[in-house]
Amino acid sequence: MAGWQFLRLQFIFPVVLLVLFLVDGNLAASLGLLMKEPIHAIPMLTFTWLFYAIQFGVIDRLPFYVYVVVFGVLFDIFYTGILGTYTLAFLLGTIVMEKLRPFFDERLMSGLLLLLIGQLVYLLVTLFAGIMIGADNLTLLPFFVYLVLPTILFNLILATIFYFPSWSLFQRLG
Amino acid sequence: MRKIFSSRTVVLLIIGFLVVVGLITGSNWFAKRTNTPPFFQRVVNDLTGGVAKVISIPTNAVGNRANSLANLLNTFSENKALKSKLDGYAQNKVKLQTVEEENQSLKKQLQLKNTLTDYQTISAVTISRSPTTWNSQLVIDKGAKSGLKKGMPVLGDSGIIGLITEVNTVNSKVSLISDTSEDTNHIAITVKDSAGDTNGILTDYDADKKLLVMGSVANQATMNKGDMVVTSGLGGLVPAGLLVGKIADVTTDSYGLSKKIYIEPASDLSKITSVLVAKSNVES
Repeated sequence: MAGWQFLRLQFIFPVVLLVLFLVDGNLAASLGLLMKEPIHAIPMLTFTWLFYAIQFGVIDRLPFYVYVVVFGVLFDIFYTGILGTYTLAFLLGTIVMEKLRPFFDERLMSGLLLLLIGQLVYLLVTLFAGIMIGADNLTLLPFFVYLVLPTILFNLILATIFYFPSWSLFQRLG
Repeated sequence: MRKIFSSRTVVLLIIGFLVVVGLITGSNWFAKRTNTPPFFQRVVNDLTGGVAKVISIPTNAVGNRANSLANLLNTFSENKALKSKLDGYAQNKVKLQTVEEENQSLKKQLQLKNTLTDYQTISAVTISRSPTTWNSQLVIDKGAKSGLKKGMPVLGDSGIIGLITEVNTVNSKVSLISDTSEDTNHIAITVKDSAGDTNGILTDYDADKKLLVMGSVANQATMNKGDMVVTSGLGGLVPAGLLVGKIADVTTDSYGLSKKIYIEPASDLSKITSVLVAKSNVES
């Protein structure tokens, strides 16, 4: 118990965020079933960790939106080389989830519905940004069937598995 | 009437929107025209790549176990099919060795140093893959320090899988041939048909059909479903003779003036753990 006193939320939160940011890329590279044609499922663990912070009400104790922007920019630099796209997607996804949070409670299903809305906003922003720079020739129906559905399914399963452990972790850190 | 947003908020939203649009289009434009990214971006990429390499060790191990388990299910039928092909490969290997020796000897006689088919390979490990909707990019653990340059071709288990699009000091980004961004897949290719070769370029990737596209091919050109497609070595840093895939479909445009060829990539793009970067001996 004594060890937890030294592991402050302000320290743990960005460290976990950094690890998940890198694990997202590693999972996409090493888990072949995620990218098996025609499916293109994207790991969104970084976004899920931001959702947990909103859902469990710890964002007031953190420079939350600074982390969102910093990791959005890092995401753009490291994964795409095009600045702005994922910074905007992370920012809009988290703002929408935070604004809608008062209408949801702490039950698992409510939380997953909130995450689902955030994920949709995130994916749609990246789709429109892709279309804007001529990087996306995927039409809407295959986009939803082959990308959005498997991505949401994969990430909701992971979010469910880690929902209560994360809740417990935030309780202890608080 | 009640206003939804105050004038100040509207102005801030418009400015924010313009800044983001400017950033996206500007950095996209800059990335296409520069060989090395700006210093800050390079440092961030090298540092993040270093940490990602450490984190990739356990995740790759877990991923490999999961994939091995999935592969185990079709091992029996795969083994049977491979055994039947093995005799043919042994014969081809002997033939290839003989032809290679003959080729070297003829080059010597003609005093030819290097041709478009001569290249060396640099092996690299995949650190990461972009978890993004439209950019199919890999981050590999070799960069400018190992002699990599923007535009070099990258090979997977059975053929070309993409081109290097960004070179940092100790890592690089590879845009896969399935990347739907503009200007990423324009590789010079040759279709090998029994009636003769047809040159062209990859013009697009059809994300819906998951096939590469070779557009604007003359109607007279003879090519059939199943024909092999290889790189032609013309232009850029891509050597000749790298396998791209085979023709999946041949269609004619709506005016009947040219053909559109759909090519199925030879390499499996779903899981790429290690790659080879082909370094042409002929500098263009």
